Amino acid sequence: MLSKLLKHEFRATARVMGPLYLVLLVLSLCANGSIRLLDNRTSAFLNIMGGLVLFLYGACIAAVCIITLVLMINRFRTNLLGDEGYVMFTLPASVHQQVWAKLIVSVVWFAASAVAVCLAALIAVFHVEYVAHMVVWAQQILQNITAYYAVNGTMMILETIVLCAVSAATCCLMFYAAMAIGHSFANHKTLLSVAFYVLFLVVLQVCGLTSAFNCNFDLHIAGAAAIHAFMGMSIAASAVTGAIFYVITTQMLKKHLNLE
Amino acid sequence: MENLENKDLTAGQADLTAENGAEPEIAPVFPEREAAAGGSPILECRDLSKSFGGTPALNHITLSVMRGRIVGLLGPNGSGKTTLIKLANGLLTPSEGVILIDGQAPNKESRTKVSYLPDRTCLPTWMTAVQLLDFYQDFYADFRRDAAEEMLTHLNIRLNQTIKQMSKGTREKVQLIMVMSRAARLYLLDEPIGGVDPATRDYILSTIISNYNPDAAVVISTHLIADVEKVLDDVIFINQGQLVLQSSVDQIREEKGMSVDALFREVFKC
Repeated sequence: MLSKLLKHEFRATARVMGPLYLVLLVLSLCANGSIRLLDNRTSAFLNIMGGLVLFLYGACIAAVCIITLVLMINRFRTNLLGDEGYVMFTLPASVHQQVWAKLIVSVVWFAASAVAVCLAALIAVFHVEYVAHMVVWAQQILQNITAYYAVNGTMMILETIVLCAVSAATCCLMFYAAMAIGHSFANHKTLLSVAFYVLFLVVLQVCGLTSAFNCNFDLHIAGAAAIHAFMGMSIAASAVTGAIFYVITTQMLKKHLNLE
Repeated sequence: MENLENKDLTAGQADLTAENGAEPEIAPVFPEREAAAGGSPILECRDLSKSFGGTPALNHITLSVMRGRIVGLLGPNGSGKTTLIKLANGLLTPSEGVILIDGQAPNKESRTKVSYLPDRTCLPTWMTAVQLLDFYQDFYADFRRDAAEEMLTHLNIRLNQTIKQMSKGTREKVQLIMVMSRAARLYLLDEPIGGVDPATRDYILSTIISNYNPDAAVVISTHLIADVEKVLDDVIFINQGQLVLQSSVDQIREEKGMSVDALFREVFKC
């Protein structure tokens, strides 16, 4: 059932993200042309047009980031907590499957948007030599990290990817939990959702600062091991936070669902 | 199907005509359903209560709905009809008591047996009719796609038309078509004829009668009694969250000598 939910969730979101990536690709190509044009400085008109294209390109990158976030919030709100919830919550699927479907798709779009923005930057400045240089730089950075800091470079990259994925999921779950609580009230659902989100942020900040000041670990580790330990603890802390928000979300949807 | 529909509606109307005279006709209007009725109830409420912040919406309701029956869940606005249907779908959790679908509490398994029409149109508006068909076919093994496509074609709805492009009335019909195209065990229809014109009411009622699974129970929640009376086997009256009456339509006509509509007006007289 989860695979079917994922299929339809991707279908619902791809109709927004697909065209957006297409526009970003076109603007990246145009930006590439504009950069070359601005280099030549042939005429004032062409310079203005080139500048305008670069502005649109920047705006599109910002739009991709913002829309990815807004889409994640809006899909949860309209598809599960709005009128469409009458269809979704009467499907032969559990609340857990509904939340996982939303979560997985959102994290995939976060990753896709990050890749799209990086590719857009590469396309805009594309030059065969730059790309060749970048590959060499990446290899050198990896080698230097491994050699100088004695850190397992590959492991470090893997840990970073896992941390990004878990943090993205936790970010989504924090929004979900705030909306699930906010929409359980009879009135002012959106306002209360925002209020609970702010409350979660404050609580997380307080917990984070308190644990940082009171942290008195004496693990007798240093250098590379300390970096790996720090990454591991960050991943674990993010996962625990995400798990708390997951429980809040699913329990609210199971016990206190209050569809509009 | 068409013949059954005409036969049923005509028979229902004959009953109503008889009731205005001396002797109401008691012969079973739907012989297939009479045969299917019996066994364990498909929907059962035991001492069921639901409160919203201290305000009771349902108050210790005990009732059962048998298979093969078309049941009218009747009551004035705010009587608790929608709450009861939401509880049966697991959209709300009971404050007290239990509600059972085919012997089990509402869960993802029970949802394979229940086809639910909410009291509002809630189809995703970005979907086209064909995407909606895909959606229902994917999630419900009992979805009869050919029947749904036939009804959509009958209404001249293009399959590539989005829900957003349809009028409010067409959206309601499309939603009903999706719900009635399932071979479910229990159909829960919340206000299926509320807020639509008389011609659409006829279309909706004939779609329900023509397409439901005869072994299944149909619960129709409404306060427009006169329009649905002709298709009902049983009625449940609820008011202010309490069960007022559960009876067969024939019994009401025999014992009270009046139509369900007349009895409703008498019971809920302001």
